[in-house]
Amino acid sequence: MSGCGLFLRSAAAARLGRARVAFTASRRPLRTSPPSQAFAKELFLGKIEKKEVFPFPEVSQDELNEINQFVGPVEKFFTEEVDSQKIDREGKIPNETLEKLKSLGLFGMQVPEEYGGLGLSNTMYARLGEIISLDCSIAVTLAAHQAIGLKGIILAGSEEQKARYLPKLASGEHVAAFCLTEPASGSDAASIRTRATLSEDKKHYVLNGSKVWITNGGLASVFTVFAKTEVVDSNGSVKDKVTAFIVERDFGGITSGKPEDKLGIRGSNTCEVHFENTRVPVENVLGEVGGGFKVAMNILNSGRFSMGSAVAGMLKKLIEMTAEYACTRKQFNRNLSEFGLIQEKFALMAQKAYVMESMAYLTAGMLDQPGFPDCSIEAAMVKVFSSEAAWQCVSEALQVLGGSGYMRDYPYERILRDSRILLIFEGTNEILRMYIALTGLQHAGRILTARVKQLKQGNVTTIMETVSQRVRDSLGRTVDLGLTGKLGAVHPSMEDSAHKLEQNVHDFSRTVETLLLRFGKTIVEEQLVLKRVANILINLYGMTAVLSRASRSIRVGLQNHDHEVLLANIFCTEAYYQNLFALSQLDKYSPENLDELIKKVSQQVLEKRAYVCAHPLDRTA
Amino acid sequence: MSWAQAILLARGLSRGWGGICSTALTGAPFSQVTPQAPRGLHCSTAAHQPDSPLVPRPPEPQRGLVKALAPHEELFRQAPDGVRDKASFVQAVQNFTQYNVHKRGHVDFIYLALRKMREYGVERDLAIYNLLLDIFPKEVFRPRNIFHSIFLHYPRQQECGIAVLEQMENHGVMPNKETEFLLTQIFGRKSYPMLKFVRMKLWFTRFKNINPFPVPRDLPQDPVDLARLALRHMEPDLSARVTVYQMPLSKDSTDATDPTEPHIIGIQSPDQQAALAHHDPAHPIFVEGPFSLWLRDKCVYYHILRADLLPPEEREVEEIPEEWNLYYPMQLDLAYGRSSWDDYEFNIDEVEEGPVFAICMAGAHDQATLAKWIQGLQETNPTLARIPVVFRLSPSSGELLASSSGLEEPPLTPPEGREEEENNQQRQQQSQS
Repeated sequence: MSGCGLFLRSAAAARLGRARVAFTASRRPLRTSPPSQAFAKELFLGKIEKKEVFPFPEVSQDELNEINQFVGPVEKFFTEEVDSQKIDREGKIPNETLEKLKSLGLFGMQVPEEYGGLGLSNTMYARLGEIISLDCSIAVTLAAHQAIGLKGIILAGSEEQKARYLPKLASGEHVAAFCLTEPASGSDAASIRTRATLSEDKKHYVLNGSKVWITNGGLASVFTVFAKTEVVDSNGSVKDKVTAFIVERDFGGITSGKPEDKLGIRGSNTCEVHFENTRVPVENVLGEVGGGFKVAMNILNSGRFSMGSAVAGMLKKLIEMTAEYACTRKQFNRNLSEFGLIQEKFALMAQKAYVMESMAYLTAGMLDQPGFPDCSIEAAMVKVFSSEAAWQCVSEALQVLGGSGYMRDYPYERILRDSRILLIFEGTNEILRMYIALTGLQHAGRILTARVKQLKQGNVTTIMETVSQRVRDSLGRTVDLGLTGKLGAVHPSMEDSAHKLEQNVHDFSRTVETLLLRFGKTIVEEQLVLKRVANILINLYGMTAVLSRASRSIRVGLQNHDHEVLLANIFCTEAYYQNLFALSQLDKYSPENLDELIKKVSQQVLEKRAYVCAHPLDRTA
Repeated sequence: MSWAQAILLARGLSRGWGGICSTALTGAPFSQVTPQAPRGLHCSTAAHQPDSPLVPRPPEPQRGLVKALAPHEELFRQAPDGVRDKASFVQAVQNFTQYNVHKRGHVDFIYLALRKMREYGVERDLAIYNLLLDIFPKEVFRPRNIFHSIFLHYPRQQECGIAVLEQMENHGVMPNKETEFLLTQIFGRKSYPMLKFVRMKLWFTRFKNINPFPVPRDLPQDPVDLARLALRHMEPDLSARVTVYQMPLSKDSTDATDPTEPHIIGIQSPDQQAALAHHDPAHPIFVEGPFSLWLRDKCVYYHILRADLLPPEEREVEEIPEEWNLYYPMQLDLAYGRSSWDDYEFNIDEVEEGPVFAICMAGAHDQATLAKWIQGLQETNPTLARIPVVFRLSPSSGELLASSSGLEEPPLTPPEGREEEENNQQRQQQSQS
């Protein structure tokens, strides 16, 4: 099967496949330690799991060579043959481009080799994502196909299902789509209306309903569909539960609406998909009947980390283009590049790109460790950080370009439009912040249960302990979590930054404890608090990632590692002060915290459903 | 006016001015003026009656007006056939000033004109008020020395000036610069009308938009439009939809006494619709009313469709489904909740009430009309067909008898303890609207 799948592929892919077999064989035994606690969750308790993040994950030389050989042709294809402007204008990816993508094997990057895919590790997938993202429409099409569309089959499919569907999906003969969103249901699984009922002979499910905003909905021939089914509980009661199905277009009764007209990623195909009495064989239930919720969650959680590298790839290209402009455009007999305000923007872009790249590859490296570590918080953080940085940086780049950034003749406005979707899809950033904060707080809350209970019951020793701890903190005790010093994980040139990280982590854990003590499980309702917790955590993770990466670069002696140190120090200092501010906002009765006022304003605006203030020119008399 | 009263007055005046000056100096809110200040003015008007109006009635009692003609009444009767509008009012005032060069009896004339303003429909016209003030002779009543200003100088004229301002106040007319100029010319800066003027200037702006639920100044004449307005006024939910279930038969039959096809207009919000859809058909729901609602000077009546509160044991406990949010946990699995020192909820005794499903306004308050409303509601609320509806219409509620007498049918089953129930409903309505 594997040979058959690879047969169609280009020589580069085949080479990569061969090398990767050798690599997996050699790599796996190296990591034998049992999967430890996920890094981000432990930050909530004030611990830095150094094992997880230091040293920065590396790939072997063989793997690197192979991936570079593979990256070459893909990059050549994207720079020379893909006409992004045309794709954007016509709202369609040309067929020959799609064919070429298929022949490069890009439709089955993460499909295991035995099913004809490339079987790339997460790290290599991230590396390829950097190049694919040079055209956002293609990147989204491919991501919808393999990061969510066929991911369900890889994660939850049975052997038969994998053997039946994956080869054709990996080769690109079939395109996959992920059908979850409905008119009434975004992230709310309870309001899914699509229904699958078991037929009389119990061999089929009959599927009815509509899904909206399905990427690849018009191209796909295999759909992962989530629908409500009746499930008999253990205690005999009948309940509606979500079940995942693999639905082929050939099952009949599937119609797709006309492609939506979108702001960005216009080349990707997004449309409604309607199912009308589609008969799905019972063998096509993905996972268990009634287990669709877990399947959906796993699929969504698994795909996010790659956005970091993709955006970084896009940003690197953007920096090149913008710098070219800034160094050639003359105003007042000086190049734009000589103006401080322009220089600042490039520093920002470089810094953001560096941080998100570090976060993405750190997460990918964690995910590549054996034992399926749960890095969903980390992946969500990468997604939030990179999407927001992308929007900010593209906007700054446009600012550098001035008027030409706004013109359709140049690619910049397209990049701006394309990058807006990043904050919205794969879980909006708001929702992901809730996820990041709540998952961490759940972890910390469980571990701190005993302590919180003692404090609440007024256990004298615990209270005294806490008070003395706080007093010591307030007296300016320096925190040492062992990142620096002799045999420290962080290089001495970033000692200050490492101390800042340690200080932040320590304060953060104290704040988390206080928050849990104050709000307990009702913290779910405190979304503004949760947002800050998530922001702090994202910063902490970013700091860790850059420290780890820059330390490695120095020690390995990579080119321009001093530049990396600069970027790392800048980011760490900025993030440190941001964190301090956010932490002080989280204090009770903090003067920096305007939540109550903000809530009042929004309440009044929403009550009126309009801007409330009188016009400045109005008079009472 | 006796000496004693004059002294009292003078004290009141000085206190009033003192209060204003001190607030102006310190910048403190005006409400901190000593409470005695307005009381001083009360003294001037009627002998220490706490509820008496600020400004005296005109010297002649009103009842006498009907019989004995007030002086200058003939000026307002010059055009018996003519229209009574602003122009004729202005004409009357001008006639007075021309005919009476010495302005004899101008106080009486101003009081008379104030009373006539409503008839001419100029009671909200600032220009007319300024015109009336302009009748006063200038410079005559201004205090010339400190004793003038301590003791009420030309009290009758000052009170008349206050009466003009008072009427402006009652009609919500804000005085302008011209008014101020006139008042300073007539009475000077340190006088009661000026005090009144300053107070109006201060408080009018603050009170003008104090009502968070403003009613338009001119209410629509069409009962359908009026009902629409009233329903919107009562319903807090902005996504509620007003439905006209039945238009009045003929356009001109604006009175509510047309028995055949009175208008029926209802309002229902999506939340109410959902609540009605979830209502258990085993429990009846009630049409109750009429309840009154005042919109400015108009009283309208409405009916509600409501249910009794479910007994606690039958209520469904709203629980968070296990598999609900695809992205983040909706509840944390922790054993402890919010600590008491972060619980800012006040301890409020809440009286729970049954849900209100819809409100309607109809031209008639009988069961047949309201049944049509229920029929109309069934189109958007299919479950309503299966729920028994009980009509609990009270035969009278205040002015209702006067406005649509004879239309009221006695309720089918007058339940016992009605009064108590009605009280409850009234309370409920108050909280609803």
